[in-house]
Amino acid sequence: MKWVTWEQVGVDRMACAWLITKYIDPQAEFLFVPAGYKPLPEGAEPFDIPGVRLSHHRGHCTFHAMLREYDLHDPVLERIARVVDEADTVQDVTLEPAATGLDLICRGIRQVSLNDLLALERGSLIYDALYAQFASETNQR
Amino acid sequence: MDQVPEPTWVLLTYKIPREPTASRAYVWRKLKRLGALLMHDAVWVLPATPWTREQLQWLVVEIGELGGEAQLWESRLLLNGQADTLVNQFEARVNTAYQEILDDLEQDNADLVTLSRKYQQVRTQDYFQSELGQLVRARLMNARGGFAS
Repeated sequence: MKWVTWEQVGVDRMACAWLITKYIDPQAEFLFVPAGYKPLPEGAEPFDIPGVRLSHHRGHCTFHAMLREYDLHDPVLERIARVVDEADTVQDVTLEPAATGLDLICRGIRQVSLNDLLALERGSLIYDALYAQFASETNQR
Repeated sequence: MDQVPEPTWVLLTYKIPREPTASRAYVWRKLKRLGALLMHDAVWVLPATPWTREQLQWLVVEIGELGGEAQLWESRLLLNGQADTLVNQFEARVNTAYQEILDDLEQDNADLVTLSRKYQQVRTQDYFQSELGQLVRARLMNARGGFAS
């Protein structure tokens, strides 16, 4: 199915696209529209756009909303959600020092990528890596 | 960060139900953490950057979820000198916070972990790259001790 989000993807949207492809829709096709562009294309599920279902809610990032909406229960994914929350939104409590770095890396990936689709593809390696590392820490406990 | 002679600003106006007070406090705290200035008890102001635009745009949605309503504006100051005054207000605020860190660094047994964290927090609100921030950074690096250089 088709998924649509705003151009100039960053930390949250790279995380979401990775989650979609890995856990929700392996055949996902991503479309991009300029920020604020309306109407959104028909037949595509919008994400990380203000006011849609898959978006920021109650101070949490879109990745967090996706875990909830698609009923994904995995402590490793929940930890990634916390990191993305801290990277993408203003939080009083910060528990994940990786957040700031992840935000910078994702912005940088977009800068060195010709387009948003390529940035999402490259970003997925970052989240594979983060997942693997968090998973090994979880197993050690 | 846009360091142009004619900065643009994002403005937020909002109204939120009086109860529960936790919602009001939540929004207030968030604006404070972004380093926004409250003008005349009415309008919150931040320099317009992709980051501040995005953060405030999400805050507008959150205020709606909390039963309030909010408007997000982008604007420029038209009168001569007013932009400079506003930039100075932003700088003065972060400089006060930076100065507190410098003062604390003078103390014996300064808590470097806490102070470096505080520096990082202040830096996220340092929209105009205060020179004092550079000094704090240099002092923190030197204060770690142990090795020369």
